[in-house]
Amino acid sequence: MIGLFWENLRISLGSIFSNKSRSILTALGIIIGVLSVTLMGTLISGLDRTFEKSMAGFRSDVLMISRMEWFSGDVDWWEMRNRPRIREEYGEKLLERSQFVEAVAPVSERGGSIIRGDRRIDSRFFGTTTDYLATNTSVEVEKGRFFSDGEQRSGARVLVIGGDVADGLFPDEDPLDKYVKIGNYKFRVIGVLKKMGKFMGLFSMDNQATMPLGTYKRLYARRGWMTMRVKLNTDQADLAREEVRGILRQLRRLKPTEKDNFGINQSSTLEAQYKAIKLAIGGTGLFITALSLIVGGIGIMNIMFVSVKERTREIGVRKALGATQTMILGQFLMEAVMICLIAGLMGMGLAYGLSFIIDKFFPSAMPIGLAIGSIMLSVTIGVVSGLIPSYKAARLDPIDALRYE
Amino acid sequence: MADLISLNSIKRHYDVGGEIVRALDGVDLTINKNEYISIMGPSGSGKSTLMNMIGCLDSPSEGIYEFEGELVHEMDDNQLASIRNRKIGFVFQTFNLLPKATALRNVEVPLIYANISRSERIEKAKKALDAVGLNDRMHHKPNELSGGQRQRVAIARALVNDPSILLADEPTGNLDSKSGVEIMKILDSLHDDGNTIILVTHEEYIADHADRTIHLFDGKIKEDRKTSKRRSVSS
Repeated sequence: MIGLFWENLRISLGSIFSNKSRSILTALGIIIGVLSVTLMGTLISGLDRTFEKSMAGFRSDVLMISRMEWFSGDVDWWEMRNRPRIREEYGEKLLERSQFVEAVAPVSERGGSIIRGDRRIDSRFFGTTTDYLATNTSVEVEKGRFFSDGEQRSGARVLVIGGDVADGLFPDEDPLDKYVKIGNYKFRVIGVLKKMGKFMGLFSMDNQATMPLGTYKRLYARRGWMTMRVKLNTDQADLAREEVRGILRQLRRLKPTEKDNFGINQSSTLEAQYKAIKLAIGGTGLFITALSLIVGGIGIMNIMFVSVKERTREIGVRKALGATQTMILGQFLMEAVMICLIAGLMGMGLAYGLSFIIDKFFPSAMPIGLAIGSIMLSVTIGVVSGLIPSYKAARLDPIDALRYE
Repeated sequence: MADLISLNSIKRHYDVGGEIVRALDGVDLTINKNEYISIMGPSGSGKSTLMNMIGCLDSPSEGIYEFEGELVHEMDDNQLASIRNRKIGFVFQTFNLLPKATALRNVEVPLIYANISRSERIEKAKKALDAVGLNDRMHHKPNELSGGQRQRVAIARALVNDPSILLADEPTGNLDSKSGVEIMKILDSLHDDGNTIILVTHEEYIADHADRTIHLFDGKIKEDRKTSKRRSVSS
């Protein structure tokens, strides 16, 4: 039967290439369908990778305590805004009372311009403690050093800058021990952080500067907006979270009947949100692409009916020469599958090219499984949409077919 | 000599819009090996139906059809396809070659369905084309060949699988008289080589090539007679 397979392959390719424009138009539906399926898949895999990378600084063993929940279903923003602030001393208490807390770093944050000579960069700067490094493993000092406990207590005007700030303000000199200005205050640069890239492709995590919390409080806000990064010594974040919650309720003197007036945010809440968004994007995408593939399949079916009609006489001759129904079925099925396969490969090739453009926004590569899957999908569409026309061809009465004009 | 084909009160009725058309209405016919038969009759007499019946393209409504001891009237579609492939060679009035394939590939087609290897296929196809004098034309497509040449390709295709019987339906009907003579010469010499041939024609002078002529009328055999070997005199 191998001979028959090659013969069918030959016939189908001959038929496809002798009706070039018809074949291309027919294939277009499948090309577009496969293109969108693979692009959607590439996009989502890129999103995944970016999300994973963005979450490097916020792993499952880190809790973020702040006045607000990030994703609060039932709490009004207004209510959260009026909650009492998070106090720095919670840190010590948590370390003292909790068996799960390994390190705590309070973080205050504000935006502003950092100026060096006539260069200026709009950035964000943080005030935190030396424990910050222990709570955020994605932060690494590339050049120089982080500030010391002494500097943190004394409120020294020292600054550890992110990669973007270093690039922006010191394009061709070493930033270490140089001075920059934030507002009216002068800071000495003591360290440069290793670059971390963009958060979800949106904003750069390298456009920032970190100063000792003591300095921050002295210069900007004694009672400012504060969050607290809590590093746990366990992966059982939910258990630890309950314990931390209990301690915080004590510290904030909440009665048993009162609700929490603080938020403990975990990476899993962010992940859940991300998954919901991904599902929405993926689901919509899948629906649209499935539609275009169905439309493409209908196009294939239509053209196969035409092809069978056109070649009715040929079918009669082939049957007279000894072709069985299965052999005729195979011949036309092969044609439908070949159109879809070629279209699928073309769609994938286009998607591969376009994935380099996506790559500029979300670092991504077309997953190999997706490539194989979309090819198999197009073959399946070929089989499904070719089946009825091929069956019709196979069932033709040889005498009627031979008489067909 | 053993019967090659035996038809026993074969009937073929069609239902055309509620009206029964008796295309064949009780045909008894025995055909032996190496016979050269022509079937004649006015249009509508059932020649084509009889031809299709013998060629296993059609199944009888009633009656017994034996082909080399096999009961054709009991066969399913696949068995019919197989018997057409192995035992029957068709030559059509309109040639019915595949337009996009070369002469060689056209002749190869029955061998593909017989699941014969590529090298053997090509060898056999070349031999068959050689036998009809077309070895210099085998890579030409049908539209590059004359009518006579096309019919010769069709004969080569019919013969390539060494069939038991060659069925030719008006083989000269679409040809000029010179090509027609050429084709009839080939058929005559095939008969001389031991092949069994059945011709359908309405031309007396074509029918005269055969040794036996069957006249059909209204789905019945009206006359079945041995004919004189006039062709050996004329050719």
